[in-house]
Amino acid sequence: MGKTLAEKILGSHTKKNDATAGEIVEATVDFLMVHEVLGSRIISILDEMGVDKVWDPERILVVNDHWAPAKDSMTAEIHQRSRDFVAKHGIKHFCDVNCGICHQVLPEMGLVKPGDLVIGSDSHSTSYGAFNAFSTGLAATDSALIIATGKCWFRVPESLRINISGDLPEMVMSKDLILKIVTDLGPDGANYKSIEFHGPTIDSMSIESRMTVANMSVEAGAKSGLMTVNDAVRTWVATRAPGVKWKEVVPDDDADYVEQIDIDLEEDPIDPIVAVPHSPSNGKPVLEVEGIELDQAFIGSCTNGRLEDLEIAARILKGKQISPGLRMIITPASREIYLQALRLGYIETFIQAGAIVTNPTCGACIGGHLGVLGKGEVCISSTNRNFRGRMGHPESLVYLASPATVAASALKGVITDPRSVQ
Amino acid sequence: MKKLERIKGRAWVFGNNVDTDQIIQGRYLTLLDYAEMAKHAFEIPRPEFSSAVKKNDIIIAGRNFGGGSSREEAPQILAKTGVGCVVAESFARIFYRNGFNVGLPLMTVSEVTSVVRDGMKITVDLSEGTLRIDETGDVLKGDALPQMMLDLLRAGGAVPWFRQQK
Repeated sequence: MGKTLAEKILGSHTKKNDATAGEIVEATVDFLMVHEVLGSRIISILDEMGVDKVWDPERILVVNDHWAPAKDSMTAEIHQRSRDFVAKHGIKHFCDVNCGICHQVLPEMGLVKPGDLVIGSDSHSTSYGAFNAFSTGLAATDSALIIATGKCWFRVPESLRINISGDLPEMVMSKDLILKIVTDLGPDGANYKSIEFHGPTIDSMSIESRMTVANMSVEAGAKSGLMTVNDAVRTWVATRAPGVKWKEVVPDDDADYVEQIDIDLEEDPIDPIVAVPHSPSNGKPVLEVEGIELDQAFIGSCTNGRLEDLEIAARILKGKQISPGLRMIITPASREIYLQALRLGYIETFIQAGAIVTNPTCGACIGGHLGVLGKGEVCISSTNRNFRGRMGHPESLVYLASPATVAASALKGVITDPRSVQ
Repeated sequence: MKKLERIKGRAWVFGNNVDTDQIIQGRYLTLLDYAEMAKHAFEIPRPEFSSAVKKNDIIIAGRNFGGGSSREEAPQILAKTGVGCVVAESFARIFYRNGFNVGLPLMTVSEVTSVVRDGMKITVDLSEGTLRIDETGDVLKGDALPQMMLDLLRAGGAVPWFRQQK
């Protein structure tokens, strides 16, 4: 029997050079990303473990991004602890509060390549599947064990294969596609499993669009959201990690999948999708929820705060004004994206339209700062989760959508089909 | 090596898809003291929980308990409030790892929410993989725990387990 992408990549990181779905293996990790959980939890766990040396200071990225810059003295203390740790252990890759969101800056810094096994202390670490890497999220204790040993145990996941063909229509984005997939699978439809995304639609997607899909795989419970290499990945890795050797990983033709799903966008074109409260798997075509009144519109996060997302929003907002009484908040995912958007004039377009542009941070997405919702408020958001209380007050309501749908809705003050404002 | 004791307590019954924001909201993650954070456990779905929970009480839940964020604070504060065990129809994968890592036992029992009612007194035996309803004597069979998870529980969590390996 052939091997899936998950089995191949995990297998190549084990001593016996093999992994089969269902077994528990110990694997050597290529790279670890940790964010504020380093300062808040991991350092204390390492102390408790009696570990005072990191396994490899060149294979760790530390990012201060969740509350950047510090929103209060507690977060300032967490950031300070992380900075001290970085200095003490000579951690080579460090992004302080001026840098951006972890899942965006890690690829920007050229720290992921095809075939890698990458772990992050954050559930959206599935994002790097867009680069043909096996990546998943773990928490503080597992991160501490990796910092100590460079190794971690994994249950090798079964794989679910989704083949997608056809073009996404105008104003329909990869966010709409993944919201539909997560809705069809349900919030635990891929629990413990690896999703493999294949087909011409995925092959022709930009890095940005692919990352959105891989990022939100976890909203169906997936352990990873994997893709094969396309030209965008080849160019990206050549530019961001020049001279670094890598080899593309492809699944075997006779690999064993627990399920295969075919999506043909020519035959069944999809509409812009909006996930209604309180689950990302509550997706509905935008036409079914049009007209719902909004207090806030948010574009940002590791899911949809990239240049492509800002470009489409700027196209929709250019020369127009957002609805009076609505707040629009735009948070570029990284400093690099912020600068590009500045040079391309998007930032000016947003500010002219009445939006607020913040520095890169996880901020509003986690109800942290720079866009927290009050009691009873309604927000349309390009982020990844609309759990009760996720973006602020437990009685606030979050509708998840693409940046195009968020921008169109900001113009009208109500949930709006982006195809109607072109 | 710790013996896996039977856990006797009252049931707190929850539905499907209890995500990590329902267990502990993101806004409390900057609290460095777990005891302080534990005062906000289940604040959204069961605001009375943190003041009414007693040692060895047992969380009963439907499918996909602990989905969403990777935050280890979720099982950590449940353990801190005295919860003895979580029994669910299924667990989200990161929560599952995290539970054993922090020494909080988890057991999977299908259709547990259609049998166990809020406040019932129950007994969980992790070695046997069973849940008993004390009043009726009815016994539900759970899934056997993988060896790795038993090792972590017997050690008292991943940190003591690591120290034993050294």
